[in-house]
Amino acid sequence: MANKPAIRTGNSELIALIADEDTVTGFLMAGVGNADLRRKTNYLIVDSKTSVKTIEETFKEFTSKEDVAIVLISQYVANMIRFYVDSYKKPIPAILEIPSKDHPYDPAQDSILSRVKGMFSSESVASGRH
Amino acid sequence: METMKDEDGTILKFLDTMDNYLILFDSLSSTLRQGWLDLASARHSMGSSRISTALLNLKEHSASTVVRVNDETINETSGMEPHFTLRKWRTCEDKTNPIEEEEDVQGLLKQPSLNLRHRGFSETKEASNEPLVSVDDQVQKERSKALSVFGALVSPKLRSAQISFETVLETLIDIANARSVMLSTFEQLQQMKEQSN
Repeated sequence: MANKPAIRTGNSELIALIADEDTVTGFLMAGVGNADLRRKTNYLIVDSKTSVKTIEETFKEFTSKEDVAIVLISQYVANMIRFYVDSYKKPIPAILEIPSKDHPYDPAQDSILSRVKGMFSSESVASGRH
Repeated sequence: METMKDEDGTILKFLDTMDNYLILFDSLSSTLRQGWLDLASARHSMGSSRISTALLNLKEHSASTVVRVNDETINETSGMEPHFTLRKWRTCEDKTNPIEEEEDVQGLLKQPSLNLRHRGFSETKEASNEPLVSVDDQVQKERSKALSVFGALVSPKLRSAQISFETVLETLIDIANARSVMLSTFEQLQQMKEQSN
């Protein structure tokens, strides 16, 4: 427990979004949109013109912000920056990969499920029992 | 023997949580599809230019729907496990935290009558009560405010889409909590495995 990262608790925190226009619009209608004094928002609308570098930088920004509790990212967008998503290990903010209109959710690509799938490998806990 | 029982219990908890995680994603996909469909219907009836991200408000404003994070200590080995609670429309509407819900009920019980919409009340009785805004009224106000960026009159389909995405948020909070439990039990199992080797 000595090396466990501290978890921010108690405060109201934001839900950040990295997704296509319709998904972002829907969530904004549900009240998650936030804009600060510098007009920086808690969402990035990804379209055909959005570069991978922009997505990477936004992902890094959202995952390092103190006031973000959850980052929602369309799975097809997460695939563009898969290395960064899979390397992310902190409990907060939680990264949730969500489906998009044209790309249904694929459990095989989910970062969390990939991380825990080792539980079912030949070196699982159960195999150690005699 | 005790160790094996603990291990079995943790494995069951892990598998159960993973199953729940996948079921929640099915539910999420279904609700999202409904939301996108309603949004497309609204766009069809109101026009594409009226439902566009170009209309989004970039002036300084706070999110109305936020998340509260609480940490729960599970045990010495796995440490902290964050628990997420949704606060929709800045009210205490969230159903996932029974403590908050109880506090809300206690708070409401201490207040005078909440029947603001009850037309049978006499004038004297209304005058003696302090003006109270019911939670429902506040939520409806916030919902209308969120849609006002698309114009004063919006399609019922847009309102349906809004409700769908609110439901999506509730499911996502459940998913976030399941994720948290899954990772915590996974860590416990990893540590048990290391101890047994």
